[in-house]
Amino acid sequence: MIRALGVKKSFEKQHVLKGVSLDVRDNETMVILGPSGQGKTVFIKTLVRLMEPDEGVIEYDGVDILKLKDRQLQEFRKSIAFVFQNSALFDFLNVRENMALYLRMHRAFREEEIEERIVDALRVVGLQEEVLDKFPEELSGGMKKRVAIARAIVKEPRYLFYDEPTTGLDRRNSQLVSELIGMLKKEIRVTSVVVTHDILLMREVSDRVALLKDGAIFSIGTKEELSPETLNYLYETGDE
Amino acid sequence: MKRETFFIRLGEKGIDFFTTVYEISLLFVQTVKRIPKLWFYRRQFLEQLYNFSVKTLPIAAVIAVFVGLGSTVQGKYQTTDIVPRYVVVNAIFKTAVVELCPIILALVLAGKLGASLAAEIGSMKISEQVEALETMSLEPIGFLVLPRVMAGLIMLPVITIFANFIAMFSSLFASAVVTEWITPREFVNGMKLDYKIFEPIFGSVIKPAVFGVLIALLGSYFGLKTKGGAKGVGESSTAAVVTSAVLIVIVDYYLGEWLL
Repeated sequence: MIRALGVKKSFEKQHVLKGVSLDVRDNETMVILGPSGQGKTVFIKTLVRLMEPDEGVIEYDGVDILKLKDRQLQEFRKSIAFVFQNSALFDFLNVRENMALYLRMHRAFREEEIEERIVDALRVVGLQEEVLDKFPEELSGGMKKRVAIARAIVKEPRYLFYDEPTTGLDRRNSQLVSELIGMLKKEIRVTSVVVTHDILLMREVSDRVALLKDGAIFSIGTKEELSPETLNYLYETGDE
Repeated sequence: MKRETFFIRLGEKGIDFFTTVYEISLLFVQTVKRIPKLWFYRRQFLEQLYNFSVKTLPIAAVIAVFVGLGSTVQGKYQTTDIVPRYVVVNAIFKTAVVELCPIILALVLAGKLGASLAAEIGSMKISEQVEALETMSLEPIGFLVLPRVMAGLIMLPVITIFANFIAMFSSLFASAVVTEWITPREFVNGMKLDYKIFEPIFGSVIKPAVFGVLIALLGSYFGLKTKGGAKGVGESSTAAVVTSAVLIVIVDYYLGEWLL
């Protein structure tokens, strides 16, 4: 279980997170929904300590990760995987090397076993082995996103984080990625946090939804509990 | 500009300068602390050894040939027959090996390697690849900085030794074969004159090792500090090259002052 309590984060005089509190239950997919510029990405990055909050507590199964030292933090991060907004594939490595990097560095697998796992993960995201030797610059936006998801799941994480997984994709690819995340939710039992402004994605994948506006969460519930009025309020001053 | 504004800006610049010096020192210490982990990052280290060697050898060779030729021409021109020719060769040898080859090579490689390191790491920074490393439990300093600094430490001396040999052969070729200004035997005797073993070690190993660490460390530092987009990457590359070049010249002076 992930628990965030009173998380605050400011950049100079701009208060981005104003005391965000949130529980994510085991094996559920929590979607944090909100218009752009409300602090969603900052929040998801503080959840894994890619950014340090100014105040607050972030616990995983009762362990406050803000108190972890460097080595403990690295150990903790072996249990997470993160799909970045821009995919963040290493552009100096091909798809195979991108996906194998974690396994080669941290697991004592033989090369054949690594290859097998990579191919399995690729099939899960609907890609063929032909992409393995391609470099990120040779892939379309949708393919990059799917490779990024494959790179995340090949790690067999306990917690999976998606930062705006459908941003920058056309409608078709956006739909494909939404369906893929929905399918992964059923196939691999993993606790997931998705931040997005995309209501269709939220409807496809969420168990519960937290609405983030002006650096604070103002509503949490299931998607069925979300009223059109609440969504209208969420987006009335946003740019989406 | 108002006087108050001027002093505020001056103060800010001063704080920025000392912050940068502190951060670079900290990065150096953190990199040194991770040396025992070099085996873990061996793949990256081998890649960097390749980048620092094979990709720079052609440039080093061209520079060395012309350092040898240029110093020979100057040596001949600046001295008359009052000075024995083997003494002139001795001056050419020491100037080229201890000073010219190491520093010219370091300045050129600061441009080539420093800029490319800063741009490479800077691009990774702005496209979230550095954060992606962290989520894979890989330390950016261990994965990116350590292999580059160690490659700089090892390969700059290797390249400089290679360049010094080429410079001496080109000098020998120009003075003994092309112009027949001196015989090969006199040339070799000139090199042996007042020979101190520490001098070539200083010029070919110690100085290049320090320059290699400087180039790799500053390229990595400015890369990791990159903000914004393409403009930020460009600014980081420029900062890496300029800072490396200035520091190389300063450090060159102090190393000579302290160690010779």
